[in-house]
Amino acid sequence: MTFDLIVQFGLALFELPFREGYVSSIIYVSLYVSLAAVALSTLFSIPVALVVGLTDFPGKQFVKSVINTGMGFPSVVVGLIVLFAVSNQGPLGSLELIFTKQAMIMSQFVLATPPITAISLAAVTGVDESVRDAARALGGTRFDVALVVVKEARYGIATAVLAGFGRAISEVGSVLIVGGNITGADGISKTRTLTTAIQLEARQGQYETAMVLGAVLVALVLTVNAVVVRFGDRGVQR
Amino acid sequence: MLRASEVTKAYGTDPVFDGLSIDVDAGEVVAVIGPSGVGKTTLLGLLALSEEPDEGTVTLDGTNVWDADETKRLSLRRRVGMVFQEASLFDASVGRNVEYGLRVRRPWSDRLRNGVASLLGANSTTDAVRESLDVVGLADALDQHAGSLSGGEAQRVSFARALAYRPDVLLLDEPTSDLDPRNTAVIESAIDAARDRGIGVVVATHDMHQARRVADRVAVLLDHGITEMAPTEVVFEDPSDERTRQFINGELVY
Repeated sequence: MTFDLIVQFGLALFELPFREGYVSSIIYVSLYVSLAAVALSTLFSIPVALVVGLTDFPGKQFVKSVINTGMGFPSVVVGLIVLFAVSNQGPLGSLELIFTKQAMIMSQFVLATPPITAISLAAVTGVDESVRDAARALGGTRFDVALVVVKEARYGIATAVLAGFGRAISEVGSVLIVGGNITGADGISKTRTLTTAIQLEARQGQYETAMVLGAVLVALVLTVNAVVVRFGDRGVQR
Repeated sequence: MLRASEVTKAYGTDPVFDGLSIDVDAGEVVAVIGPSGVGKTTLLGLLALSEEPDEGTVTLDGTNVWDADETKRLSLRRRVGMVFQEASLFDASVGRNVEYGLRVRRPWSDRLRNGVASLLGANSTTDAVRESLDVVGLADALDQHAGSLSGGEAQRVSFARALAYRPDVLLLDEPTSDLDPRNTAVIESAIDAARDRGIGVVVATHDMHQARRVADRVAVLLDHGITEMAPTEVVFEDPSDERTRQFINGELVY
């Protein structure tokens, strides 16, 4: 696997004795869980932001408060709630999701959704009403108007997705609780992410290893940021 | 063609119109003049079929707009174009802006295909887009970003955007109030071009000279209704209504 070779080469530069495939499997789990959760959160958040931002309904202020409160919700508590939900006695117990990537995606979804929704909502609300009027006057349906709003708010929404991804990939507490920081007998990560691995290595006194994993985590976040910013700029010449 | 009859409209307890009637035919320009705050924008909202009257009817080619179901009303609404006082262009190229009205009228299968094609860099500019940009003298601006235009150019693009999908009726809300004389002249000649294409144009303006220059008929909006609606010369030279005469002569102070 090419990806694995690149990682091994990079690690060889630091002369650190990692088991083969260990680091790349951790990166894979981190990215898989965070990206899946952020993708689901985005699919959920943008329609919610549009409805809350563009329509009036009773209880709108309450919904906004819930979203804002969610932004500051402690991740360990989210982890705990998801753990209870997927545990054997929990309502989702029969799905046997405990200590799996799916359970981690669930808790990351809960964590990433409030910031993505709140920032998207701010971006959507910031689109000038005259632009919406224009879209409607030019023959747009309500759906067309919503599409125009999403396009006008695209930079804000990209920021929202980044914020959600940032929260997901750098989060320790809930993935530790619901995922369990597990590797297989072969040393390949099952539910071990970069953050939980760093936490473990640091606790065991493996500071060099922890530092390298930390550098990998920072590099990942920067790369995803760069890709999203680059993508968001496409097709716009100012 | 487009006709509002005996329309009453109020915001809360504030009456805006009480028994107002106005109409526009194909290939004519009707100017709506009146003091600021008299409800010109609300009147255009009624004619744009986006504001429902409290009482009275709005008909397009005899079809009662507010009796029709939503699908029918959308198709009626799509025969009316609107240019606002502010250009309100989308954050996209001039070409994409002008194309917008055409785009939303296409079936979804076409729109998705064109969307993918344009992401891949294909050029989908239609003749209608080029022609309407030509009318406002901005054919060269097709690939420019809307944000790079001057205020006057932006307003001209906004006009072209409403013209591109060939509406039967074109509504203009103070289209030149923020513009310099040169851009005003371009818009006024574009109004003539729209009339020549058989479009019925309604232009709300507080500039009586402009009304005189562009309009075939003038409707005077005063005190919750049209006090006079007649050929331009009649309204300005020999108005039959006393309030109209006072307003034209600047004697009516608001």
